[in-house]
Amino acid sequence: MTATEPATVRPPLPVKMVISGGFGVGKTTAVGSISEIEPLTTEAAITEVAAGVDDLTHTPRKTTTTVAMDFGCLTIDPTLKLYLFGTPGQERFGFMWDDIVEGAVGGLVIVDTRRLDDCYAAVDYFEHKGIPFAVAANAFDGHVEHTLEEIRWALDVTEGVPVVVFDARERGSVRDALLVVLELALARTSA
Amino acid sequence: MADGTPAPDPAGFASAVRPFLLTAGRVADDGADGHWLPVETQVVATPEGLDALDRLTFEQHDIVAVCRLPQSLAEIAARLRLHLNVVRVLAEDLRAAGQLTVHVPDSGVVQDASVLRRVIDGLRAIPDARGVPSDSD
Ligand SMILES: Nc1nc2c(ncn2[C@@H]2O[C@H](COP(=O)(O)OP(=O)(O)OP(=O)(O)O)[C@@H](O)[C@H]2O)c(=O)[nH]1
Ligand SMILES: [Mg+2]
Repeated sequence: MTATEPATVRPPLPVKMVISGGFGVGKTTAVGSISEIEPLTTEAAITEVAAGVDDLTHTPRKTTTTVAMDFGCLTIDPTLKLYLFGTPGQERFGFMWDDIVEGAVGGLVIVDTRRLDDCYAAVDYFEHKGIPFAVAANAFDGHVEHTLEEIRWALDVTEGVPVVVFDARERGSVRDALLVVLELALARTSA
Repeated sequence: MADGTPAPDPAGFASAVRPFLLTAGRVADDGADGHWLPVETQVVATPEGLDALDRLTFEQHDIVAVCRLPQSLAEIAARLRLHLNVVRVLAEDLRAAGQLTVHVPDSGVVQDASVLRRVIDGLRAIPDARGVPSDSD
């Protein structure tokens, strides 16, 4: 680049984390708690191959579905920006997940302890992809239904996966849960 | 936008046919070998793009205009209510025409320990609550 050209603004390096989990577990709430902007929503058209995806569709044809994902961001400094993407937790959106998750440094799987099985798809996904992740039990009404050990056992996550309790509405709580994931990601770089 | 374009449909998003027209039938696809541009890919208008604003058609105009400051593909799609894949295609066209720069994050750099440490330090500095005092403590 020569000195005579007007400079194009240099964008920050985007660092992406993904927040996942079943319906209504607090994904959007968590993104909104930490984001510096109101969470934005975008719809993406996805092509899904129905075969073997779920039992709602019996035809093995390709269908196009529109799903919403929401996201927020946090400027770390002028050269670095954290992006948080909340993904639909349903298994059949697997295709969509790859589109969002590719390149993510880590994931947070939010669980509502009153219905733990809602998060299996998300846990499986991150395990399968080898993406560092933690499980965050959202303390609806200020408490969780099970001990962390019970949650760990029920989800059958390996020892290396941190399980924490958090409150999706509390900024500090979401921050700390994300830090757990980032520390895990950092530990992996020196492994 | 305040330019007299009709309001979007009730769902707030264009029909499935429209994005197809916008991109002249091309769709971003992740084909056998190809890759999507990641959703966090940063896009910035070039001085040439800003100069050419008047000559650009609606969606291309809006994309360049919204990228005066760096935006991710996802932000562009959300702010302009366009499908993500339409933004992917149009941003690529605008890049080829020199009107935008498109910065695909290098996952090796993003996942580098020094970058992760900076994110960790930056996040640690975030206070428990926002500036507005909350009713908790
Ligand atoms: N009491 C309590 N309510 C919460 C908490 N977190 C979220 N909620 C509420 O639970 C509901 C669902 O939260 P959302 O953040 O929309 O959940 P989501 O995972 O984005 O939901 P979907 O996108 O529909 O799957 C909202 O009404 C929230 O206000 C929490 O920690 N405690
Ligand atoms: Mg939501």
